[in-house]
Amino acid sequence: MQVDAAPTLAERVHEADCGAARVLTLPTSADRVVSFRGSFETLPDFGAGEELEQKLVTMMLDKGTLRRDRFAVAEALENRGVQLHFSANGLRCGFSGRTLRDDLPEVLAVLAEQLREPLFDPDEFEKVKAQHAASLRRSLDNTGTQAAGALARRLYAANHPNFQPDSEAMLERLDALKVEDARAYHERHFGARDLLVAFAGDCEPAPIAKLVTDTLGDWHAPTDGAAFATTADPEPPGRVEVPIPDRQNLDVRFGHPVAIRRSDDDFLALHLGNYVLGGNFSARLMSTVRDEQGLTYGIGSSLSGFRVEHEGYWRIAVTLSGDALERGIEATLEQARRFVEGGITQPELEEKQQTLTGAYKVGLATTGGLAGALLTNAERGFDVAYLDNFPKRIEALTVETVNAAIERHLDSDRLHLAIAGTLPEAG
Amino acid sequence: MQVAESTPVEHHAFEFVKASGGIEEYRLTRNGLTVLLLPQTAAPVVTFMVTYRVGSRNERAGLTGATHLLEHLMFKGTERYNKDNGTAIFPTLQRVGAVVNATTWFDRTNYYELLPKEHLALAVEVEADRMRNARVRDEDLASERTVVLNELDRGENDPTRKLLQALHATAYFAHPYGHPTIGWRSDVEQVSAAGLRHFYDTYYWPDNATASVIGDFDRLEALDLVERHFGAISAAPDPFEHNVTAEPPQIGERRVTVRQAGQLGAVMMGYKSVAALDADADALDVLAVALGNGKSSRLYRRLTDQGLTTGVFAYAPRLRDPGLFIVYGALAPDVTHDEVEAALWETVQQVVTEGLTEAEIVRARNQVVAQEAFGRDGPYAIASQLNEAVAAGDWTLYTTYLDRIERVTPEAVQAAAERLFVRDTLTVGIYDPIVAENGVPDAG
Repeated sequence: MQVDAAPTLAERVHEADCGAARVLTLPTSADRVVSFRGSFETLPDFGAGEELEQKLVTMMLDKGTLRRDRFAVAEALENRGVQLHFSANGLRCGFSGRTLRDDLPEVLAVLAEQLREPLFDPDEFEKVKAQHAASLRRSLDNTGTQAAGALARRLYAANHPNFQPDSEAMLERLDALKVEDARAYHERHFGARDLLVAFAGDCEPAPIAKLVTDTLGDWHAPTDGAAFATTADPEPPGRVEVPIPDRQNLDVRFGHPVAIRRSDDDFLALHLGNYVLGGNFSARLMSTVRDEQGLTYGIGSSLSGFRVEHEGYWRIAVTLSGDALERGIEATLEQARRFVEGGITQPELEEKQQTLTGAYKVGLATTGGLAGALLTNAERGFDVAYLDNFPKRIEALTVETVNAAIERHLDSDRLHLAIAGTLPEAG
Repeated sequence: MQVAESTPVEHHAFEFVKASGGIEEYRLTRNGLTVLLLPQTAAPVVTFMVTYRVGSRNERAGLTGATHLLEHLMFKGTERYNKDNGTAIFPTLQRVGAVVNATTWFDRTNYYELLPKEHLALAVEVEADRMRNARVRDEDLASERTVVLNELDRGENDPTRKLLQALHATAYFAHPYGHPTIGWRSDVEQVSAAGLRHFYDTYYWPDNATASVIGDFDRLEALDLVERHFGAISAAPDPFEHNVTAEPPQIGERRVTVRQAGQLGAVMMGYKSVAALDADADALDVLAVALGNGKSSRLYRRLTDQGLTTGVFAYAPRLRDPGLFIVYGALAPDVTHDEVEAALWETVQQVVTEGLTEAEIVRARNQVVAQEAFGRDGPYAIASQLNEAVAAGDWTLYTTYLDRIERVTPEAVQAAAERLFVRDTLTVGIYDPIVAENGVPDAG
């Protein structure tokens, strides 16, 4: 985070093996506040739709433990103003929180109980099911969710972590699930398999290591886990429409698979190249389709779903009002073609190098940003020095390396198109 | 808030006004610009923000959405920073890694840059330049108008946002809080560049603005920078007209229904509340936390935990003029609007009759204390909270907040609830989706 001759992150971050957990701690000058982020590998069977069980288990974690009911859990945290969230994210589940320094021992004790000994009360499970059913039903009206899901289903088979089952199918499966299914999933998949926890803020490494050892150090590591597809299985490039009534703004997603992983040498070159096309407000898509042509409020492109464990895809997202739909699609495609055919220029390279290295510093300005960066980096299996060296890696990129990566991996003719909303002819 | 105050900086162009909670206020004597300084060295970044005391409350009929549309045009450039000469505002700032944006709301407009500390001068220069030199051209409006219309369509897709707009439009007959900050569609479609230029020339002056610098910087250097770039701008030629139409007292419940193809309904209830600086406002903040914050809250326990709703919240933003105190429930499947409305009503009435427990007050206070500490984590988070305090009319609302919350008693909360939760000042909003017979909306 520091510039110039300041100590590097590698020098400032303390790493410790705390029983089954690996802990990274970064003391900062933050006043009283500590942020933490953790995750562990769960490996759901995507082909069998098990991410649904995984989601329900994470929703059950704050519904009581074997030692305290749901209200006691809530009060133990909320009486202290603690924020604690659980998440299910493909191959891993995680938790994130922010607390005042003095409350950390109690917070970790409650967290460990929630992770290791959830109550799985049958009545609470039925409520959680009803809540998730409502959320899935509301997602049927959400143009962004529907367009993203339709694109993912064109690119991936059901056993790939980037696949997104459609909401109707999930509602049907959800209806049949019992509390025993959730409990069984927890027993087989939740545990300290590659358990990583990062802390940043007003904290000391040694007491934190002891706290984690005492609370999570002897958590078992599950052995169950399903195989998953690591590559895409796309349909032929084409267009899919998801009609939704009364939604005059349409969400449009373009995308095609890219056969590299996050750890591939080409990733950073492609990341920078994509940034020129659609990484921020001054990128080409915003400055042409929005700023010059006035066709959209929001447009951008990204490299999505890339992990060290599997490949990802190139994605362009744009929102368009019905009367601008086809013009907006064509204008977006024109920029994509120009980008793929012509690559980027030297001034664009230099501008985005400055942007990415500057934004990197800004992103590490909060304890949450720091803890998140440490965790994500560790999940990738990279050492802390990777974070220190990131700006140098970006600065070392050349126009030739970036354009060669674009040429190898991106192709505007392979783009799929998914549209959700009230289509002009149907409206 | 226990923060050691440092000695104010002496600078020939500024007068020191006051200090509170580590923040110092200065006034640029030549033109009345207010400057707030909060040095913090946690990270080598700085936030520069200019808050203008103009928002949709300053808009008249026919010009709704002017605040927001003008904010968009402020990125189209000045004579100095523009796309034609390769110095458009976004690329110029984003090139150095800045997070750049602007927001508008009822009472204010703010522009901000969060950037590596060595680039503070650039942010100050750009903001000073566009305070008086924005181009606001016809051709820029032509392309930006359709951008905003798409933004408006995006908002219309969202039932909660539609319900919130309908609730305000029904609760306010006369006061401009009745129209959305993005504006009514026909005004966005028809407003002229001349109309926006007039709006700009009325409100964008140093004596109607507060510049805040937060993060890793030297105070004297920062004041030098502000003087160098803002010092040559004159004060406004005419006094600002900040009084707007007062809302007549509401005597009688009002109701509004929003219908749109969709899946599950919602109920939103808004009570006429108090202005940000009112004596009851702190107690109402505690009440909002106790009602709606977390799984220990009254609304969660009474509604979501009982399976009536899938989500609840209490929302009571502190605005310059009296706003709404809102409670909301998103219906769970197979639950009626009447059931949720009755449960929301009962929950707030229970506070009127029985008050909050001491434990609830303590929990709410602790949550506020922790939120405040979290809110100091990073210079943008601080700027965002400070911005609302500036807009409400007193930036020390932010720095004195914890002390005031500590003094809130159960009796004060109950008394405030008694004044607030009155049937005659209630507006009820119902989101009643049009559901097709098979449960899936009809695409035709």
